[in-house]
Amino acid sequence: MKTTREKVDNHLLITLDGRLDTIQSDSFEKEIGEVLAENHLEIVIDCSGLSYISSSGLRILLTIQKRMMSSKGRLTLCSLQPAIREVFDMSGFSTIFTIVEECG
Amino acid sequence: MISLFALLPVVLFLGCLYYMDSFKLVRMRLLLLCLGWGITAAVLALLVNGTVADYYSLSSMTVSRFVAPVTEEVIKLTLVFYLVLRLKVGFIIDAAICGFAIGTGFAVAENLWYYLQLGEGFDLLLAVVRGFGTALMHGGTVALGAIILIEGAHRNRKAAAALLGLFGAIFFHALFNQFVLNPLLQTLLIISLLPLALFLIFLYANKNLSQWLEIEFNNEVELLAMIRKGEFKKSRAGTYLASIRDYFPKETIFDMYCFVGLWLELSIKAKRNMLLKESGIPMLIEEDIPDKITELKLLRRQIGKAGEMALMPLIRLNYRDLWQLEQWEETQSDQKNLSK
Repeated sequence: MKTTREKVDNHLLITLDGRLDTIQSDSFEKEIGEVLAENHLEIVIDCSGLSYISSSGLRILLTIQKRMMSSKGRLTLCSLQPAIREVFDMSGFSTIFTIVEECG
Repeated sequence: MISLFALLPVVLFLGCLYYMDSFKLVRMRLLLLCLGWGITAAVLALLVNGTVADYYSLSSMTVSRFVAPVTEEVIKLTLVFYLVLRLKVGFIIDAAICGFAIGTGFAVAENLWYYLQLGEGFDLLLAVVRGFGTALMHGGTVALGAIILIEGAHRNRKAAAALLGLFGAIFFHALFNQFVLNPLLQTLLIISLLPLALFLIFLYANKNLSQWLEIEFNNEVELLAMIRKGEFKKSRAGTYLASIRDYFPKETIFDMYCFVGLWLELSIKAKRNMLLKESGIPMLIEEDIPDKITELKLLRRQIGKAGEMALMPLIRLNYRDLWQLEQWEETQSDQKNLSK
């Protein structure tokens, strides 16, 4: 999975491209660790290129969410592909995260 | 002050185990129940051991070496057997914590009793041996029995595992009570080996639990998505269900479809709650969950044992799966208590 990071206005935009599965989650977790250490108040994750997410991936998103909640920050997931959105809806994770249709 | 050496180490060790469990599988209520049972077990064991010693005119050394390991482990492990039968513990981690908590309650009560009995004779050396050695041994043996029992339950071999767990706990307890080694050396061995053993077991169990969550969650989401899209028939699961159509009444097959869908939904959401708990985010209980659980139970009854067995290739309904269902009811009762 490829990830890119850029500062846009007052938030950090992380773009995910590929599969966020068990194998990929370790490196993604490391990267997210660096991001969280920077103490951003708003993080937006562009999921338009995310084709698959497993529970390991969800776990990392939950870690970010928890951290943002405790620092009064905000995490937004945007442009989820329908299949991924379905996973969030079915499992009820949609109520945990702020999900928007379009990024930007 | 000296008594603290006898009482604190085991309690602190239990605290470490409790906080090492990232999924927080053991509720505080259950932990307190285990501690309470440990204390009760110590009182019961004292009475039983005393009665046996009087009846057969046994020396205290004989009782300690050969009688106490049996009576004490049987009484302590009774609650673990009950918890497994009632699906109150699901994994190695919570079984070990519950087991260790029972041993902690037992050891605290026993050491307190010794302290009150001996008064000034309860010196620092005895406090250290009892607090770091005997007390940790009591926790460790029940934890070991509980781990063996839960592993057996996962493999559908509860009875054999119960016997093996009990035997293992009695064996290590009896070995400890022989005092083959110098008591201080024995204590040192326990301090160095037990934490390491439990740490390794926790690592292994945590990895197993994460793998189980990963595989089951993904499979269930995939299957439920197909059902909701009306593509279930095309899946291997759908083909299988169609293949058993002729062996059951039409209404039962219909109930089976409903059961599979409902089971998957509840199972996915139960796993979601485990992930939320692990992340330290409050769990969710959707408003319709209680009704869905009632419906699921009714469907299960209507499908019957034969139907349930026929569904095994799709939904295993094994110990861990049924434990998940039990967790919904526990979570609901927690939320009711909170709202009171």
